[in-house]
Amino acid sequence: MKLIGGYTEEMRESIEMVEKTRDERMKKSFPPMSLEEREEVLNKYHPDYKPDKKRAVKVGPNKGDLAPHEVVDLLEAYPLIDPKEIDLKTIDYDVDLLIIGGGGAGTVAALWANENGVPAENILMATKLRHGDANSMMAQGGIQAADRPEDSPAIHYLDVMGGGHFANKPELVEALVKDAPFILKWHEELGVQYDRNPDGSYVERPGGGTSRFRLHSAKDYTGMEIMRVIRDEFRNREIPVLEFTPAVELLKDSEGNVAGAVLFNMETEQYYVVRAKATVLATGGFGRLHIQGFPTTNHYGATADGLVMAYRAGAKLRDLDTVQYHPTGAAYPEQIVGLLITEKVRGMGAQPVNKNGELFVFPMEPRDVEAASFIRECARGNCVETPTGMKGIWLDSPMIEEIEGEGAIKRNLDAMYRMYKRFGIDMTKDPILVFPTLHYQNGGVEIDAESRTSVNGLFAGGEVEGGVHGKNRLMGNSLLDYNVFGRRAGISAAKFASKRSKPTGLNLKHVDSYIKELEKAKVPKERRSPMLLPDYRGEKVLARMLDIF
Amino acid sequence: MSEEKMITVYIMGKAYQVPFGLTIMKAMEYAGYRFIRGSGCRAGFCGACATVYRKKGEYKFRTALACQTTAEDGMYLAQLPFVPANRKEYNINELDPEKNVLSEYYPEINRCVSCNTCTKACPQELDVMYYIQAAIRGDYRQVSELSFDCIQCGLCTARCPAEITHYHVAQLARRIYGKYQLKVPEHLEKRLKEIEEGKFDEEIERLKNMSIDELKSAYVQRDIEKIPRGEVSDE
Amino acid sequence: MDIELVEIPKWNCCGAVSSLTADDVMHHVAPIRNLIRVIEMNEEGLVNDEKRLIVFCSMCFNVLRRSNKRVKEDPKFLETINSFMDEERDYDGSVKVMHFLEILRDIGFYKVKERVKKPLKGLKVSAYYGCTLLRPRGVGIDDPEAPSIMEKFIESLGAEVVDNPYKSLCCGSYHTVGGNKELVAERAYKIINAARERGADLIITSCPLCAFNLDNRQELTKKIHPDFEHMPVLYFTQLMALAMGMESETGFDGNYIDPRPLLRERGFLEG
Repeated sequence: MKLIGGYTEEMRESIEMVEKTRDERMKKSFPPMSLEEREEVLNKYHPDYKPDKKRAVKVGPNKGDLAPHEVVDLLEAYPLIDPKEIDLKTIDYDVDLLIIGGGGAGTVAALWANENGVPAENILMATKLRHGDANSMMAQGGIQAADRPEDSPAIHYLDVMGGGHFANKPELVEALVKDAPFILKWHEELGVQYDRNPDGSYVERPGGGTSRFRLHSAKDYTGMEIMRVIRDEFRNREIPVLEFTPAVELLKDSEGNVAGAVLFNMETEQYYVVRAKATVLATGGFGRLHIQGFPTTNHYGATADGLVMAYRAGAKLRDLDTVQYHPTGAAYPEQIVGLLITEKVRGMGAQPVNKNGELFVFPMEPRDVEAASFIRECARGNCVETPTGMKGIWLDSPMIEEIEGEGAIKRNLDAMYRMYKRFGIDMTKDPILVFPTLHYQNGGVEIDAESRTSVNGLFAGGEVEGGVHGKNRLMGNSLLDYNVFGRRAGISAAKFASKRSKPTGLNLKHVDSYIKELEKAKVPKERRSPMLLPDYRGEKVLARMLDIF
Repeated sequence: MSEEKMITVYIMGKAYQVPFGLTIMKAMEYAGYRFIRGSGCRAGFCGACATVYRKKGEYKFRTALACQTTAEDGMYLAQLPFVPANRKEYNINELDPEKNVLSEYYPEINRCVSCNTCTKACPQELDVMYYIQAAIRGDYRQVSELSFDCIQCGLCTARCPAEITHYHVAQLARRIYGKYQLKVPEHLEKRLKEIEEGKFDEEIERLKNMSIDELKSAYVQRDIEKIPRGEVSDE
Repeated sequence: MDIELVEIPKWNCCGAVSSLTADDVMHHVAPIRNLIRVIEMNEEGLVNDEKRLIVFCSMCFNVLRRSNKRVKEDPKFLETINSFMDEERDYDGSVKVMHFLEILRDIGFYKVKERVKKPLKGLKVSAYYGCTLLRPRGVGIDDPEAPSIMEKFIESLGAEVVDNPYKSLCCGSYHTVGGNKELVAERAYKIINAARERGADLIITSCPLCAFNLDNRQELTKKIHPDFEHMPVLYFTQLMALAMGMESETGFDGNYIDPRPLLRERGFLEG
């Protein structure tokens, strides 16, 4: 296959059309949709609105609620461990606070718990991959905070509610928007570097569905910059971490409070019992479940483990029926299909255009609406097709250089530029091909404003929790979410632990009774969860695999 | 797709046939490896998949991120599961940015012989050696700017003949620069004060108590800040 | 004097003198990389057909010139260096490494004299060469036995030269950071006293390490020899800035023995 600047000859023909309409499009625009128009395109084209792709959960606290099949398959599944085989008398780690998950939320929770009186040695973080291997590290575009005089937390509130289809939990949205500026200040004190204007003020950009410019970035490495700094601070405080050691089941005490977890060392295959006065769940979302076969922007470990464990422990979930598909995942080249192309690319002026070079949607609709519009454009036959049969919409990145001047992409979108360059494409000169990709778990374990779940002793922060974003999260609110609710989880858990003596009567009775429920519901025995890691091994290998060692 | 073009890669010396056009990571998975270590974000941001390799017929010892590099015929591949790098603990609030803290905490940076091996090893193509030179001079800003895109994979450190832990030095420099040399913007300080004084409480309370229909109409009527460019005005 | 100095973009530490004590290719990489930068500056139009690299520090000068000399005399060695630095363009030996004093000599010290606004009339200055400006033979910028370039420099600023028999006696060099600071303090005692006996007001040098050893180590010298009297030790460019009327550029804040009281007393500094 002959490639010119990374693209096939067919794709080049379409690029020519994009180039031809660029000057005209620079001057023109596309009007934003009304709420009714949004409903229409969502109903017809958004993957969430296909009824056959979901089913009602048959067991547990959310019995009867809809969720994607892939998620229900994990909720309606037997545990990996046999409760009878676990010796709960020998406690391997006896701590005040157990934090499950080593991404942004877990790290923030640990720092604030430490700040609120829990000594480092009485905290334990258990994480499935390395500390920091998380979606938090990968967030590109930025973090929202209403700090400009033209903006206010109340306007931020309204944007979040509208983006979430007014299904958000108000007290959580209030906490999110009011804490936001304080989070920025905290980051400043730790040494996080946000992009600045020459006068020292923040560079702030628009995001889809935001009515003000309030997106703070660190180039397109925003998540990485924050995560690196908070992890560094965590290490300075010498808080213990167990890497490659996920929790596989929560533990309860004799009074029914969550009181720790059973961990599994994936490298030695040994289990550990952790007793904890308080437990923070910060395990992230379900982005690696490839819901409806979509590619994903998510990290390797985003397999909904926390949802599963919390659910078995009796925690109520919410808003799991909606999935965020990011409108702009890479659709070409094949090696990077599904990877995130930050919304900031549109925020800086790149328009989405079809194969004929036509702009067909307001570029900054909320994510679900934007994604549905892309899918509609393909249904209309206006997509570009790649050599591997993927469909895509052009994102006219060279416009950014025309609007903001030469070098704007390298200065602000270095990660994007570098990624495309690795695969032979120069996004300063040619548009890039995108298509919606699985991005975020909008809902999760329900919390209150103190980050408490419905189960005593269990707190949650970050993507694993639900209620903040309603049915659709806005850009720049996930980094904010994990900071706000990671912090609140850490503080609440510290308070809870300080008032409590060591839990007694550790047990897995909730798992036993969940198993009974599964049996009653006739769930197939081979279905097991949590998933821990997806399996991408080649089919030929799996077909001849022996389990004898 | 019709028939797949296959290539041979040598994973830790063993030959496997894999389809052409996969990343190194996906090629290893195709060959039957299920990663515990060596796979993180799978998108070039976390540094978990640092890989060293050599191409058949070459003497060059190369480095890459497995998730961001296309597997080629004849590659000898191995992953770096962990880097036992020297990292110093410090209290960010008790550092004196007027001094060269970098040299104090990491005196080994002065062992740099400018061999540039770190720069050659960097999968982000950063100018690593030059930021170490800037670190020797205590220039926090320059270290910050040159190292900003560092994903902390550790390949620089693994290859350095002077045993410098470049990425930890850079992390320290960036935090010092961010904390002490960038000022907190005035508009942020002002907003924090307003929130503390409860300036927005009443309005948020009002929004919280609205019915969905009231909220919807408030949402539709909210004014949207104009992008100061032509392409998204409401015409 | 119509000289414009252009800084090498992306220069790296030359590795300093000690790195050349072992015959190791690796230690020549750092200096040669800087010489490659000079060639790139020509290619990129930062300078026009100008391959002279001007160095102020005697030690850096010494390292850079020795490496340059080595690769020019040994093409095989140059090939080794070039193939090791395969990410850089090849070096061809064409850069000329010069100490700033050499450039002044080439232009002519009379030109320096023309620019002097405040001749340092009556100030008695003793030159201290140390090692790296003069040795080894073929690298040094003057006759190692009877150097005169710094004396000519002093005269061009209008000051009076005071000779010192120990002007090229080693100051103790890196012993100052090792366990033998006393050796350095003793050398300072010897060198400074010799200058004083001949009537010098101050000493100038062109090497930062010599300057540190003769200036800062006076504290220890005084402890060992209570009879010792302090004497200001200036970097040669400080004296030049003073004579050329650039008082704000003199940087006397950094000197351990503050020369300002003396200079004020003699009327070379105001206030």
